[in-house]
Amino acid sequence: MAAGALRGVLWPRAAAGLRAARAALAAPAGARAASEMSQDMMPGPYPRTPEERAAAAKKYNMRVEDYQPYPDDGLGYGDYPMLPNKSQYERDPWYQWDQPDMRHNWGEPMHWDFDMYIRNRVDTSPTVVPWHTMSKHFLLFLSIMLIMFGLGEIYPSYRPVGPKQYPFNDLYLEKGGDPNKKPPTVIHYEI
Amino acid sequence: MAWAPPPSAAKLYRPNRFVSLPAELDPATYDTSPEKLRAETERLAIRSRLKRQYLLQLNDPSPPAVIENPALIRWVHAKSQNVYPTFRLTPRTSFLGAVYGLGPLLFWIFVLKADRDRKEKRIQEGKLKRSPFSVFF
Repeated sequence: MAAGALRGVLWPRAAAGLRAARAALAAPAGARAASEMSQDMMPGPYPRTPEERAAAAKKYNMRVEDYQPYPDDGLGYGDYPMLPNKSQYERDPWYQWDQPDMRHNWGEPMHWDFDMYIRNRVDTSPTVVPWHTMSKHFLLFLSIMLIMFGLGEIYPSYRPVGPKQYPFNDLYLEKGGDPNKKPPTVIHYEI
Repeated sequence: MAWAPPPSAAKLYRPNRFVSLPAELDPATYDTSPEKLRAETERLAIRSRLKRQYLLQLNDPSPPAVIENPALIRWVHAKSQNVYPTFRLTPRTSFLGAVYGLGPLLFWIFVLKADRDRKEKRIQEGKLKRSPFSVFF
């Protein structure tokens, strides 16, 4: 049921583009390919009058008092309802949902960001430790560690070191020196 | 010496963009007014009506091949085909369009150009090791 509806997204969109190009011959603009729902059951523009709001609330299966569209600032939401930004994790796990994995009932209006709020993704449930305490502790720790590492890079501190001394006349044979020749003597000590 | 009292639970667990208010601290949970009761009853009526429609289709002896969910169809339509007709040019949308559309393009143009100019300068000064071209590294 979901796959049939979702597979029809890209195809009708491309088809609508083609149809708009051949406007004289093709079907009227806005026609969809595979759905029995009439145009007034689909989302539309922002509702301006109270009658339009009531009709939109009825269309989305919501109470008129609950229905609150997104503010009309031209971002493309139309009359889609603004539901509380709560993830599906917060819904009752023991209720008999029609779709238990999504915790969603048939016909219930879906959040605009529904695909973000599914249980595999964003979870907005209240945390045991308060969020602000957690973020404060984390940011404090991270910033202190980063500052200390940065200071350690700028002002390194270690015991005095000298260049490494290699035996066997500075590894003369290992570095490919001629075995028949006498190597140059390298002495690393002073008596 | 008197320390300040610890912050209240409502202040500690206040909601933000990432986490919502716990139900125990929400005054609406403890609201038992008749308006709330009526609202809940209406919502239950809508929910039961939808559930009845769904279960009738589900348990039909000759069920339809696909039980279409009108809420899903509307959601898909709203996110894909209803954005362009309801879009409007406002100062905010044109600013956002410029930032998201042209911003990355101009940024990468300047970054890549500066990088290549610096490499060219190093080649002119002879500092860059130019190995002969090889496809095998």
